[in-house]
Amino acid sequence: MKAFGYVEAKDVAHAVALLAEHGGKAKVLAGGTDLLVEIKHAVHNPELIVDISQLRELKVIAVADDGLHIGALATHGEIMSSPVIQTMFPALVEAAHSIGAMQTRNLGTLGGNLITCVPSMDSGPALMALEALVTIAGADGERQMPLAELFVGPRRTSLKPGDLLIDIVIPKKNLDKPAAFEKFGLRKGQALALVNVGAAFFVDKGNFREPRIALGAVAPTVMRAPKAEAFLDGRKIGAEAMAEAGRLAATEAKPIDDFRASAGYRRDLIAVLTKRALENAYALANTLAGKKVSEPVS
Amino acid sequence: MDDKTKVVERERLDLDEQLRGADFDLRLPATVPRKPFPIEPLTVDARQQTRAVGQRATRPDGRLHGLGQTKYIDDLSFPGMLHARIKRAGIASARIKRIDTSAAEAMPGVLAVLTGKEIPVNSFGPSLQDQPVLVDEFVFHAGDGVAAVAAVTEQIANEALEKIVVEYEPLPAVLDPVAAMRDDSPKVHAPNSNIYASKMIRKGDVEKGFAESDHIFEDRYSTQMIEHVSLEPHAAIADWDANGRLTIWATIGRITLARGDMARTLKLPMSRIRIIGTVVGGNFGGKNEITQEPALALLSKKAGRPVKGVFTRVEEFTSTTTRHPIIMDYKTGVSKEGRILARQIRLVLDGGAYCSWSETTLGKACILAPGPYKIDNVVSEAFVVYTNKTMTGAMRGFGAPQVCFAYESQMDDIAKALGMDPLEIRLLNAFDEGSPSPTGQVLHSVVVKETLNKAADRFGWREPRS
Amino acid sequence: MIDVTIFVNGQTRDATVAPETTLLTLLREHLHLTGAKLGCDVGDCGACTVVVDGMAVNSCLMLAGQVNGRSVTTIEGLATRDRLHPIQKAFEDSGALQCGFCGPGAIMATKALLDEKSDPDVQDIRDALSGSLCRCTGYTKMIEAVQEAARVLRSEARNQITHART
Repeated sequence: MKAFGYVEAKDVAHAVALLAEHGGKAKVLAGGTDLLVEIKHAVHNPELIVDISQLRELKVIAVADDGLHIGALATHGEIMSSPVIQTMFPALVEAAHSIGAMQTRNLGTLGGNLITCVPSMDSGPALMALEALVTIAGADGERQMPLAELFVGPRRTSLKPGDLLIDIVIPKKNLDKPAAFEKFGLRKGQALALVNVGAAFFVDKGNFREPRIALGAVAPTVMRAPKAEAFLDGRKIGAEAMAEAGRLAATEAKPIDDFRASAGYRRDLIAVLTKRALENAYALANTLAGKKVSEPVS
Repeated sequence: MDDKTKVVERERLDLDEQLRGADFDLRLPATVPRKPFPIEPLTVDARQQTRAVGQRATRPDGRLHGLGQTKYIDDLSFPGMLHARIKRAGIASARIKRIDTSAAEAMPGVLAVLTGKEIPVNSFGPSLQDQPVLVDEFVFHAGDGVAAVAAVTEQIANEALEKIVVEYEPLPAVLDPVAAMRDDSPKVHAPNSNIYASKMIRKGDVEKGFAESDHIFEDRYSTQMIEHVSLEPHAAIADWDANGRLTIWATIGRITLARGDMARTLKLPMSRIRIIGTVVGGNFGGKNEITQEPALALLSKKAGRPVKGVFTRVEEFTSTTTRHPIIMDYKTGVSKEGRILARQIRLVLDGGAYCSWSETTLGKACILAPGPYKIDNVVSEAFVVYTNKTMTGAMRGFGAPQVCFAYESQMDDIAKALGMDPLEIRLLNAFDEGSPSPTGQVLHSVVVKETLNKAADRFGWREPRS
Repeated sequence: MIDVTIFVNGQTRDATVAPETTLLTLLREHLHLTGAKLGCDVGDCGACTVVVDGMAVNSCLMLAGQVNGRSVTTIEGLATRDRLHPIQKAFEDSGALQCGFCGPGAIMATKALLDEKSDPDVQDIRDALSGSLCRCTGYTKMIEAVQEAARVLRSEARNQITHART
């Protein structure tokens, strides 16, 4: 690695001040699993590393009045072992578990994963399906926006130089919304997603209410599938409706051919994984409702 | 007699223990009571068995591996040791117009810079000596080294590489091995032909066999380039001492061969070269020849210090040997019962920029291409061609896995077309005890059918499938 | 340059290093603990795995500054003068180490797993080893070794409890 300066941030304000002072020449070190690789490969040549990895206040996972807060520095390992998240959103545990391997999950952070803004990120789809908000600290103070607005393009976020992602919030209205995450990679461990899907909906008298479907690795950023969502909204829950939503989602995505998979294969995966995610979210809804059903989908 | 043997064995064991004990003692600080470390004696089960077959052997070096005490090259260091890095061409085919190393040489911390022109005999290789240590006039593939730097830290060496200016005149690159065989193709090593080795095996009369066949299948199969990905990258340390003697510590499986290549490239008598092959962290055929060692030796000579070079993972992929991709054309004639009457095979091996172990691979692939089947009429021809790509060389099986993929794929296709069970068609054609191979060798201890049957029984192949 | 104090294998060690020094470089080049290996340098292969504050991490993906004041266990910290660590013994006995380059990393990943979970099932073990790439033996023997080590460690823990009661 090339030489750079290094400052351990004392708190968020210190980090933001350092970023304001050094602008684009500084890089924030959270988990380091992406940043250090990129510095080693000379993708970035920062003059200063602002190390926020030891800021405990950004690791907090807790329910507050406005929803579930997950600090940006919560590692994938911490998300997997958080009793709160295990109980409320097993989908987030699944998503965290599917990232890298134990060693990288112990370092990599949720905020860092979102900031990479790679289309195949595994943290994105489930959070997007749950309409998560992100809190940004900047020179002008803190602001909040939907997660979807963070993503601009491949490896491009809407953050300005000097901005720091500090918190991820799942809004209160979705705290009891059943959600599921599905991923398909070329291997079971340490594999990037060919396609990943997050799905969430309320069960309202046997009908879908407020269905949300988010797809990863099939467009320049993690994307929602509005046509599939509109199709499901208010419709009776059933296997055929879920399959049709999958087919619709496949038409909405813009997958590419690359060395990992063809676009056609990815479209097929979208249909299958969307259906599975909807099935699993429904199974979870039934579990949460306390009535175990042997057949997940009627 | 037996007693005597036992006595001798016991004595040898005692001696073994004594030596081992002495070795443990050496490891202990003087202030600590003399007791062996670790306390349990290291027992090598296999050595105590008079009948080793069927016994589980414990690796003698397993303990050091588990303790993290095994010394791989990168775990060694010497006083004053420098770190070397090699600048890679990054262009598949080009003429080098100019190399300017002056800015790199002027950098504080850089003690030596080397280019291909300074290498006494700039070519090596296990069968054809066609690989330069560092390219001097032409670039043959993107992973070629164009200059090497030795500096006090790896970081400085890396920065020095960026200061080396190389001007290239791009030349047309040969990337498709089949196109490379045509007369009008650009030549990778002009004026030589791109086809640098070939082999042909003939047995019987294939034309007659095809004429007698009820069905003829013609298919093309191809495999991709594969890197060995040993967990330990290629690494070496060179120390050219003031007596003009060279010591190399290297991740090389074949130290004698390496010594020959070092003597050739450096124009140094073998008696002055000592090569120490250390424990290798994975070889798989990828560490059978020298890579950067002559460059490290000359850097060490220039700088007057030991020099270590460790490849990055990227260099492992771009600048070391890989498995040959092979384009495999199979024409097979079968009777309506599924018996193979004739098989004609044409293999085109993508040799990459240099020969390396291609001739060995070519031979094995060619001989094994017809498969373990009794075929009276065979033609198997194989060519290996130069392309402007990473060189291909030895890798577990030397071409056997590639042709196995082709002939077994075709066996399945034939079975499917004839409506036969894939196992039955193999049992019908497979070698028996005493069958001749395509090259006429009479085979013994042939258990193909027994193996197939046993395997099929184990995984329930013959049970009804839904 | 930055000053770093870390607790390595129970000892306090100080070093003054350049900011871009990784934990792996700090261990190997400054503290001469060469058990952790550099395999890929990008966090894929796991040969550099060490345990920081009880967690297995890729030491090639941490800066030395990040471990300032923290506790690090490396492969060199497992065996004592008296004996091999049960994980090391199990890996040795099971033949889980061939070329050995992935061994220290795989053993440290196992250490983190067994510290957390004394009776892991095969899926837990596979999960914990998925970040330690092995190109020689594969994982069958490694999984056997982890199971054996877990058995030994559990029985030792039981004996200690019994011993404490008597």
